[in-house]
Amino acid sequence: MRRILIIDDEDDIREVAALSLEATAGWQILTANSGAAGIEIALAQQPDAILMDVMMPDVDGPTTFRIMQQDPTIAHIPVLLLTAKVQGVDQRRFAGLGVNGILFKPFDPLTLAQQISDILGWKEGSPDPPPPLPST
Amino acid sequence: MDKKTEAKVDDLIASLWKKNLPSLRERLNLLDRAAAEASSGALAEATRAEAQSIAHKLAGNLGMFGYPQGSEVASKMEHTLKAPTPESLATLATLAKQLRKSISAGL
Repeated sequence: MRRILIIDDEDDIREVAALSLEATAGWQILTANSGAAGIEIALAQQPDAILMDVMMPDVDGPTTFRIMQQDPTIAHIPVLLLTAKVQGVDQRRFAGLGVNGILFKPFDPLTLAQQISDILGWKEGSPDPPPPLPST
Repeated sequence: MDKKTEAKVDDLIASLWKKNLPSLRERLNLLDRAAAEASSGALAEATRAEAQSIAHKLAGNLGMFGYPQGSEVASKMEHTLKAPTPESLATLATLAKQLRKSISAGL
């Protein structure tokens, strides 16, 4: 079962995204209401992907992403930024960060899982990611 | 996606909407206050900043609850409050009314 970490300071967004992804894709959802909390959860839980808001108080999404990139234990986790519809300049700025994709608010709860799967190349019905190899 | 799953998601979102109604009403009231202050030429900076933040949040979430027009209007309010001019501030009252009307079915 895929595990997705949702990082957003807005309760509504976290709740709707979580129930949408659980109901439509059967994914397990982790949530955090700040970049700092999200980093802690990412380190502890190693989700398969992270969906992260851009505008958050204190540490914003792009800054949180840059911090994550500096830690080799979580730098490999694909990150999708979640943001209000933006103009071309902002899109290029986000793309230059090195994130895996950008999703726009408001999202459609019925298609969110498919959008994420399409961006990350996850095929519906594909097997779960293989478990990590046992350490010897 | 099968109809059963779609209905389940719709029901869950409707429940969330109801749960969040008190908070939504407070946000709408604050936007109305900001619009009233703007109309009288006395929009305080603190009110402006808070209204901008609320408009941003509503722009991001009303659409996912099934009110895309609400998101559009809230987005216009956000941009007006972000870089206000006397002319644009004069439109806030109208936008605030449009916002309430766009989600009136759910209030």
